[in-house]
Amino acid sequence: MDLTAVVLRAAAARPRVLLVTVPGGTAVRLAAERALRSRDWPSASTPAGADLMVVAGPDCPPLRSALDRLWQDMPQPRARVRAQAPDDVSSVLDAARDRLRSPGRSRADVRGTADGNGHSDRGHPGDRGVGGGVPRAGDPAAEDGGPGSGAYGEPPEDGSRGGRPGGRQGAVGAHRAAPDDRRGGHPDPHDTAEHGDDRRADHGGQGGNGEHGGRADPGGGSGGHDGHGNGGMELPGGLPMAEQGEDRDGLTLDRLHVPLGPLLADWPAGLTVRLVLQGDVVQEAALDGPPACTSTDLFWTRPWTRAAAGEPVAVGEAARRRAAARLDSLGRLLSVAGWPAEAVAARRLRDELLAEAPASAVLPRAERLARRVGRSRTLYWLTRGIGPLSTADARAAGVSGPAARAGGDVPARYRRWLADVVDDVRQSDDTAPLDPVAQESPRGRWDAARPPSVALTEALPGLLVGAELGAARLIVASLDPDPDELAFRRAEVARG
Amino acid sequence: MVEAGAWWTVLAAPAILFGLAGLAVVGDAALDARGAGRPLTPGTAVRPLLAVSRALLAQPRRLPAPDRLLWRAGVITVPVAAVLSTLVIPFGGHVVADLSVGVVWFNAMEALTWAGLWLAGWGPNAAFSLIGGYRFLAQGLAYELPLMFALISAATGARSLRVTDIAAAQHGLWYAVWMPFALLVHLAAVLAFSFLGPFAYPAGRDIAGGVLGETSGADRLLLQAGRWLWLAAGAAMAVPLFLGGGAGPGLPAWAWSLVKTLLVLGLLVWVSRRLPVIRADRYVELAWVVLLPPAVLQVLVPALVDLNL
Amino acid sequence: MGATATVLLWASALLAPAFGVLVFTMNSMARVTFALLACLVCVGGIVTVLGLSYLGVVIVLMMVMEMVIMAVFMIAYMMNPAGLMPMSMLHNRRGALVISGSLFAALVAGIFLVPWPERGGARPRNTTFQIGAALMREQMLTMITLGFVLLATMVGATVLATRRGRYDRFGDELDQRPARDPAGGGVGR
Repeated sequence: MDLTAVVLRAAAARPRVLLVTVPGGTAVRLAAERALRSRDWPSASTPAGADLMVVAGPDCPPLRSALDRLWQDMPQPRARVRAQAPDDVSSVLDAARDRLRSPGRSRADVRGTADGNGHSDRGHPGDRGVGGGVPRAGDPAAEDGGPGSGAYGEPPEDGSRGGRPGGRQGAVGAHRAAPDDRRGGHPDPHDTAEHGDDRRADHGGQGGNGEHGGRADPGGGSGGHDGHGNGGMELPGGLPMAEQGEDRDGLTLDRLHVPLGPLLADWPAGLTVRLVLQGDVVQEAALDGPPACTSTDLFWTRPWTRAAAGEPVAVGEAARRRAAARLDSLGRLLSVAGWPAEAVAARRLRDELLAEAPASAVLPRAERLARRVGRSRTLYWLTRGIGPLSTADARAAGVSGPAARAGGDVPARYRRWLADVVDDVRQSDDTAPLDPVAQESPRGRWDAARPPSVALTEALPGLLVGAELGAARLIVASLDPDPDELAFRRAEVARG
Repeated sequence: MVEAGAWWTVLAAPAILFGLAGLAVVGDAALDARGAGRPLTPGTAVRPLLAVSRALLAQPRRLPAPDRLLWRAGVITVPVAAVLSTLVIPFGGHVVADLSVGVVWFNAMEALTWAGLWLAGWGPNAAFSLIGGYRFLAQGLAYELPLMFALISAATGARSLRVTDIAAAQHGLWYAVWMPFALLVHLAAVLAFSFLGPFAYPAGRDIAGGVLGETSGADRLLLQAGRWLWLAAGAAMAVPLFLGGGAGPGLPAWAWSLVKTLLVLGLLVWVSRRLPVIRADRYVELAWVVLLPPAVLQVLVPALVDLNL
Repeated sequence: MGATATVLLWASALLAPAFGVLVFTMNSMARVTFALLACLVCVGGIVTVLGLSYLGVVIVLMMVMEMVIMAVFMIAYMMNPAGLMPMSMLHNRRGALVISGSLFAALVAGIFLVPWPERGGARPRNTTFQIGAALMREQMLTMITLGFVLLATMVGATVLATRRGRYDRFGDELDQRPARDPAGGGVGR
């Protein structure tokens, strides 16, 4: 009809997708990754760069607010869908594309009216209907301990953004013009949240990395100066200043509080590590408990849980699953290491293994991947010496599996993975019955009371301190705890 | 032989640059499709260009207390500097402005990217974005000095800073032949100042896109365009500096320039996929301890040759 | 000087002090730094238009890098935490006014008092070679001395700023390999 419609259609042909996995959603994530790859819908690493948000996995109430924050940060036109089961993925993606295409809906979306964009969820079976993702100030939905993604150190926006009717320019105007409305008049959603004592951690990052509202609108009065203060002194903006501390060279520098997770690209979903950064060097690292999702859906260790329950499971099936799990971890590590081409290769192999491709077809390509990545001098040079974890230390911390057997730094661990993958692919047609205790599960010896990922997670903070941020991401990716196992343990504990 | 500053060159140079950058994007998409096992058709290769239409629609980013002025300035600086750098690059027999200090001009425009990217990282007021901006500076400190020596090698060989003089001074023997190390350093630096492939450190996936992470719509398009425009400009600059410019048998000069530029561009796109991101904390030491001494020696080679002539 | 050059000269000449004023009136360290950069880029433009194109472009090149690095250090080491608070760039107003006023007066007086030489001969088309010759012929010794002084200053400042010495890195017998460093380097030391 008009130019906008044409442009919308063109843009919707290749939307950028923010694929968010919640614990328990591994199977859906794998299906979604496969579908996105074959459709050539690129993956976005932040909401700002995304048109479409795909939530993979079951509903997880503690993560809802984080998801809403991501949604809130997405620019218009946008769509948000949830896939609950692997078979839904394709239809959900089609529905999302139609929604992005349809100019009427998108305009309504652009308008950002007080209905909170609820329309974007209407009538789509795959969707859980959480589209009203614009929390108002004081709305319980905004009680968010940690920012939605590590990239967002900001507090929830003012209620005026979504809560007020009016065009999008109008909404921006309201945002700019009414800082007092946000900070002063209404209670800051953060402050009303149960994490009141975390406020320093939540907001410290702001001050440190440049809340400088005063510059942007000096005439805005005190309300414009977000987050400048001394020590714990409250400023008109309501944000305390980043405190200072000595860095490793004895210089007094600002400390930034930056949480990694719970939802971050190529990150174990639901895991939150609170970092204290100086520059980009980690000074302190603390683990948040995993969000209390009650998922018991274990994708990667299913052969082990089934065998433990007495079902007959073939060794080949377990080896296949284990190889796929490690290829999945490798894909994440390579992606974090900035090698997308090889990450795609690892993920394709993973998907073929899971699709029951014969071992003879997969083996040569697994060997080629092992050669290319395992023998890459560049990757070795870049990851050498990062995150050393000796076998003895690993065993003492309760870590079993490849991380303990590798007994070394990041390259030792990814080389261990690669060697194990090749061995497992060779074994993947073995029909002998699986002994769930003797055969190692993907992350280590399977123990339902204490899944191996728990020990991996607990080993993290000690390894992260002193690492540069990029190295810290590599360490996490090279240990790669399985969020499903963490959620499983949580569910077991809750059950008693 | 070289005409400078015909009026239409002012329009042609950016057009050619955009065309080359578009071809690089298409080539990269084709390699992507092959890697992901998608069928390779002309349609799949041009799909990334749909990003342009999306950028026209998308809403600008709203963040608490950004420094909008500096952010916008930084985002615009990157592609504009890339286009300005082409003023001095001869293409066949034509150049927009045949400055007597063309090599320094190119270098100065490239340095503007430092300011542009740091501002693009600073503006949004978000931790990962800021880290991305700082990362580019660390990377810049690593690649810049070897690059300067590489550019000076070619200038010393021709005893001129004028790019057309450098291209003309290579009749018979390309500088690539007796200054291979300078060419290598130049090509690595091209990837570095276009922050692509192994030098995508400022926009790394580990910091959720870094300088690109908070941008949307037109801002994102400008930064992304800046990357590919710089890649094309750097590849085009390598031709007059090291590959004899438009010289070659049979074909007209512009055709040789085009062929050589496309080959360099293709090489860069291919190489950029073969390496993981090189973090600056490792690269700085390599650049200063390993790359810099041979780069200085490389300048010495044409200097000694010039003295003998 | 052609019409374009005249326009460029005057535009740069007016913009440079305008940005200079902004340096002292804006209240954010980042903006101030980049206002100073814009000012210096205008100065580079003036120098270029006056016929010293090499010096002009090099001023732009060097000042961009220098100001960006300076922004990093100014923001990192400001007493005012991180230099992120809205802040005033004015300190010691009276003293600064006296100093800058008298300096300005002296420079203006210089314009009128210095006996400017008459141009002898035609201006060369490319002045880069003349600059090189002026620096590297008569002033060779000065340049070499300056180079070493600068290098020594940089090395000395780094050594003074580093708390860890070689005994911390290599052990009391200087025999510990690899060195004990908080972060490894890129060439495996």
